[in-house]
Amino acid sequence: METVEIVVLVVSFAGLLLLGVPIAYSIGLATLTTMLVTMGTWPALTTQAQRIATGLDSFALLAIPFFILAGQIMNRGGMARRLIDFARSLLGLFPGALAHVNILASMLFGAISGSAVAAASAVGGIMTPQMEKDGYERNYSAAVNITSATTGLLIPPSNILIVYSLASGGVSIAALFLAGYLPGILVGLSLMAVAGVIALRRKYGAAQTMNIRQIFWKFLDAIPSLTLLIVVMGGIVAGFFTATEAAAVAVLYALILALIYREISFRDLPRILIDASGTTAVVLLLVATSVGMSWIMAYVNIPQQLTASLLALTDNGIIILLLINVILLCVGVFMDITPAVLIFTPIFLPIAITLGIDPIHFGIIMVLNLCIGLCTPPVGSVLFVGVGVAGTRISRVTRPLMPFFIAMIIALMVVTYIPDLSLWLPNLFLK
Amino acid sequence: MTHTRKWLDRSLAVLVATLMAALVLDVLWQVFTRFILRDPSSWTEELARYLMIWVGLIGAAYAAGRRMHLSVDLLPGALTGNRAHTLRIFIESLVLVFALAALFAGGARLVWVMLKLGQTSASLQLPLGYVYLAVPISGLLIAWYAILDLTDAIKGLRNGNS
Repeated sequence: METVEIVVLVVSFAGLLLLGVPIAYSIGLATLTTMLVTMGTWPALTTQAQRIATGLDSFALLAIPFFILAGQIMNRGGMARRLIDFARSLLGLFPGALAHVNILASMLFGAISGSAVAAASAVGGIMTPQMEKDGYERNYSAAVNITSATTGLLIPPSNILIVYSLASGGVSIAALFLAGYLPGILVGLSLMAVAGVIALRRKYGAAQTMNIRQIFWKFLDAIPSLTLLIVVMGGIVAGFFTATEAAAVAVLYALILALIYREISFRDLPRILIDASGTTAVVLLLVATSVGMSWIMAYVNIPQQLTASLLALTDNGIIILLLINVILLCVGVFMDITPAVLIFTPIFLPIAITLGIDPIHFGIIMVLNLCIGLCTPPVGSVLFVGVGVAGTRISRVTRPLMPFFIAMIIALMVVTYIPDLSLWLPNLFLK
Repeated sequence: MTHTRKWLDRSLAVLVATLMAALVLDVLWQVFTRFILRDPSSWTEELARYLMIWVGLIGAAYAAGRRMHLSVDLLPGALTGNRAHTLRIFIESLVLVFALAALFAGGARLVWVMLKLGQTSASLQLPLGYVYLAVPISGLLIAWYAILDLTDAIKGLRNGNS
């Protein structure tokens, strides 16, 4: 037993996080401290630096910067607005219409872009003022926007599923992407159910209704944006190109469309590139340091020990999955989704495989679970963006978020215990 | 101090945006050569991977300057005045330690080892030491920002305002 190393790792990491040291440095410093306990000073420093550099040396990971960049272009390029208009034409007549519109628009935006943060800022930026005008409480709008943005992490393309593919040692990205559709739609529908009940209670009305002709025109207007879905997913599933190449094509497509719409010009490009690089680098530094932490955890045998103690507790698959879910929910509260996937996949996936759970299914469980953490205070990148876009504060959205959390946890249980929900589409298309 | 900071912010922004643009063009070229020319380029994938190391690490320095890195702000959010400055000093010192020890010192040694071993990349024949140079450079830049933030916090503590 390497008890000392484990204690050093856990205590230093928790301490640094709670002090307020940025998460990426907390991971790096905790890893470094543990390495210093385990090996000599120079080997520790060099190994750390090497893990950071080689952690980023992956062609699959490259899809992340591209999907982030494409998301930024779609956000400013008028695509988000067209998807919202289309969603509005479909759902305008329901009570609490604008909340439903926000949810469907997030799902559609998620289906063409790879990042939930882009969805939260793109859709929320447009919907919040509209919802406020129609008498929706601002914190409630923010809660709808924040939770629905996470559906984009399940509905492909999805950056976090690429990270999972990397962490799991190469589960097929195409299979993971296909697996995400139904669970993502399920989460969206669960959120809509909550929004519907709240609308009836608070008497939120319908938006203005449209006739068939208007609906048709809104659909036509959204087609060029929705085509991206077919280009990217069709290309990946048919094996035409890798997720990375598809993401680069998405950047080009979104850029051309935005230029045609005259929503952005070439002069805006440097700003967009800079913003996308900043967001990318935040994710990549988390990836780089997490890869190091995952390495030192394996080096001191943490995964094996945890597997052994969990399996010694019970060999009932249903209970172990429940335990893993509870642990991940707690992890998600304090940790961003990227490091959580990179650090906990190598720990929990072997257990899941021992229990006969498909690695594709397990990836979807993990991502859906950690999506809940992305919306919970105190840490959650989607929460931060959603609150910022709505101009409110974290403490004020916590209560309106609650019913949506409950809906997401119910969806998580359904996805956990009905494997076919995740595995049906990949089996249909890829076998 | 603010002058240095602005200059550094702007230079890094230009550098990172250029690297990002190069990255997009490189992979688009790969798609083009594979599907249109039907003669896949042999070096684009390797170049893309190395460019991403640079975008990630130099970008991390840019993001550090703009305070974009995520953190748990329960404790910093609860403190005001001198206590907040003291905590800030403590946090920035830890960032400085990580940047100088792991990224700069560890990275510099990694570069030195790689150059001494004479390892080169498979298709571009690039010495790997130069590729990994992004690590110590990023370390120096992050350390620079940490020092700027550290001096701000120390000044704040001396003046006793928040």
